[in-house]
Amino acid sequence: MTAIPLWVRRPAGERVGWLRTVDHKEIGVLYIGMGIAFFALGGVEALLLRAQLATPEARLLDPETFNQAFTVHGVTMIFLAIVPLLVGFANYLVPLMIGAPDVAFPRLNALSFWLSLIGGIVLYFSFLAGGAPDTGWFSYAPLSERAFAPGTGVDYYILGLAVNGAGTIIGAINLAVTILLMRCPGMSISRVPLFVWMTLVTSVLILGAYPAFTAALVMLFVDRQLGGHFFDPSGGGQVVLWQHLFWFFGHPEVYIMILPAMGMISEVIPVFSRKPIFGYAFVAGSSVAIAFLSFSVWAHHMFAVGLGDTENAIFSATSMLIAIPTGVKIFNWIATMVGGRLRMTTAMLFAVGFIAMFVIGGLSGVSLAVVPIDLAVTDSYYVVAHLHYVLFGGTMLGIFAGTYYWFPKMTGRLLSEVLGRWHFWTTFVGFNLTFLPQHWLGAVGMPRRVFTYAASTGWGPLNLVSTIGAATLAVAMVIFFVNVVRSLRSGEIAGDDPWDAFTLEWSTTSPPPPENFASIPTVTGRRPLWDRKHPESRDAR
Amino acid sequence: MRPPADAIGTLSLIVGVIALLIFIGVEGALVYAIWRYRASRLVAGEAAAFEGNRRLEIAWTAAPALILAVVFVLTLGTMAEINGAGVAPAMRIEAIGHQWWWEFSYGGVKTANELHIPVDTPVDLEVTSADVIHTFWVPELGPKKDMLPGVTNRLRLLARRAGSYDGQCAEFCGIEHAWMRIRVVAESQSDFDAWLRTQTQPRATIETKAEPIFLANICVNCHTIRGTAAAGTAGPDLTHVGARATIGAGVLLNGVGRMRAWLADPQRYKPGALMPSVPLSDADLDALAAYLVSLK
Repeated sequence: MTAIPLWVRRPAGERVGWLRTVDHKEIGVLYIGMGIAFFALGGVEALLLRAQLATPEARLLDPETFNQAFTVHGVTMIFLAIVPLLVGFANYLVPLMIGAPDVAFPRLNALSFWLSLIGGIVLYFSFLAGGAPDTGWFSYAPLSERAFAPGTGVDYYILGLAVNGAGTIIGAINLAVTILLMRCPGMSISRVPLFVWMTLVTSVLILGAYPAFTAALVMLFVDRQLGGHFFDPSGGGQVVLWQHLFWFFGHPEVYIMILPAMGMISEVIPVFSRKPIFGYAFVAGSSVAIAFLSFSVWAHHMFAVGLGDTENAIFSATSMLIAIPTGVKIFNWIATMVGGRLRMTTAMLFAVGFIAMFVIGGLSGVSLAVVPIDLAVTDSYYVVAHLHYVLFGGTMLGIFAGTYYWFPKMTGRLLSEVLGRWHFWTTFVGFNLTFLPQHWLGAVGMPRRVFTYAASTGWGPLNLVSTIGAATLAVAMVIFFVNVVRSLRSGEIAGDDPWDAFTLEWSTTSPPPPENFASIPTVTGRRPLWDRKHPESRDAR
Repeated sequence: MRPPADAIGTLSLIVGVIALLIFIGVEGALVYAIWRYRASRLVAGEAAAFEGNRRLEIAWTAAPALILAVVFVLTLGTMAEINGAGVAPAMRIEAIGHQWWWEFSYGGVKTANELHIPVDTPVDLEVTSADVIHTFWVPELGPKKDMLPGVTNRLRLLARRAGSYDGQCAEFCGIEHAWMRIRVVAESQSDFDAWLRTQTQPRATIETKAEPIFLANICVNCHTIRGTAAAGTAGPDLTHVGARATIGAGVLLNGVGRMRAWLADPQRYKPGALMPSVPLSDADLDALAAYLVSLK
């Protein structure tokens, strides 16, 4: 195992290092480890759901277990898997990409991680303490009020996510300050790598969105534990208030989960196309546009609530508008590939897979902004399909692209390209088998969050296909796991710069030393490493 | 007016075709770029450092904006249409969502889980909830509408075809969300009128053996059988329960044998439902099941 220098070298015999580390790379690895562990748990929960739904009127899971499983699956994947994975990559990479020795507040960074993890542990402790939350990840009032959810599950949801959210908010402050204040000489804000740009925008989104959710959680806690009536109509409260607060957080949260993954493929695609990103300013600027708009679209989750046609029309318009900067990104990625010399490595396959699948999630997203169509398919499996095309077809494929790309930097070893191709294609087939049929199921009337369905509905065959797809996805994840373990032990040695890349993290060793760089670098363009390798054709910007 | 489902169908078709064309265009460009520019079919070396093109950026910002503007205008039109703008409803029916069944009220005449409407007639459903949020959704009749406690929402229904339409609650509402199914029966005006007349009547069967069993047990705490002393309101009105197609909001088809099984142990078929098992002798169960199914 000595051949895996994943962590910073420290004196022999020091075993508690991971517990007290303040090194951004180690904390990044901790975050990624947390994300992978919870991704596995959330995946097992998803497999249980799909097993129960494979056939009509099945009795594999009782309804209570099913309701806990889908609730915890959603909460896990969003708060404990995807966000920590993305924050983990940002933690590891942002200082390296901007030529900084660490983040601005290394101790706060450790606090962020441990709060995030403890929040997750608190949530999962509910399984031992009498039952997990069973009201869905958005836990609508009044179902989540004590009158209808008398167990402690919702209380663990509140506590776990409030603590987890505090960690995420502190982490966002840290990353934003780091990006704004710790860039190396020459790295103007118009020269930072796009992954760093997306991390900055994401951090601002977190600062705007998470506090609204924390406030809502506190209000729900007051209702449940102190006899409040914020969301209780019998006491003069309003049930819809929860939805406004939740989705004011919940929709920006979608962009919190997709923008960093977009940042990842914005690094991968240029390197493997052997070209600079097409339209750097437009890719960065469109993210800012998305960030602003994302705070004005929340009520498109509430078209069926009956807010009124005027309100629905306004939120329909803003939701359609946000498709424009999103489309700009897709066009720019494809334009980056045009005229390039594409090396179809596994990282590039996943990046291209992101574009291909995200287009589907984006188009179904626009259809949900069309109020009458939304009223037909909202709260159905159509929405389940849509959100998984965004968060799995988009975010997770982006994270896999980033993993194949940066694993050598973090470990000094390359992941196997052979296993990588198996991983990609089983993921691609399994993912589409699982989620493509769900569009149809939702359109013909299958609501989300049902623990079973009548045989007379005729939904059985497509559900079976979906479950077979989920099993295929599980195989894909096993292949990935084998690849990681094998490559950690005996993967090909990567060297500093295995991809002939463009950005600063590849100019230091793999893995980097504790101080990241022997001396703080100076840059003159957007592709500092390219400039260093090709002094005769340096970038103009 | 057109049935809301037809209006949504037309709009979905238009948006679907636009989406399909964009899908083919973007995925086609992606696949072409991969095929055309993969390194293995090109000479070795670096690509030209081509950084962007302002005109292209403007074009692919403006083109989607124009398409979306068209979609938005169509959206506004269809929104007004499915709400029945300008067309007064011929009748209003109240619908109240309960954990986990539906109450329908025709001017005070109550029934449950099965909504009857006259065909070809615009009907407004005024929806609310007795507990948590539910959503009324019958896919073939078009849009859904949330049922919120303390709020009354309106949903326009119009069925062109006589027959039954299945639906179910779309907002997660607790443990038995999956078995909160709706059946809408659309029938000719004369059939509907006859049905409504029957519903207005008290119970059909005056039965001296089984009725006292019902009245002597906790059944009466939650259920009403008009014409008897049973006047509970927490559960479905059973005055004409025998005429309904299903038991337990869709969990079992109606019939004496299944009614008996349901009465003997509702939690077996709908675990978590608010109806408890009532300890009754086999003979009492037989009599009660036959009695309830006879209430047409």
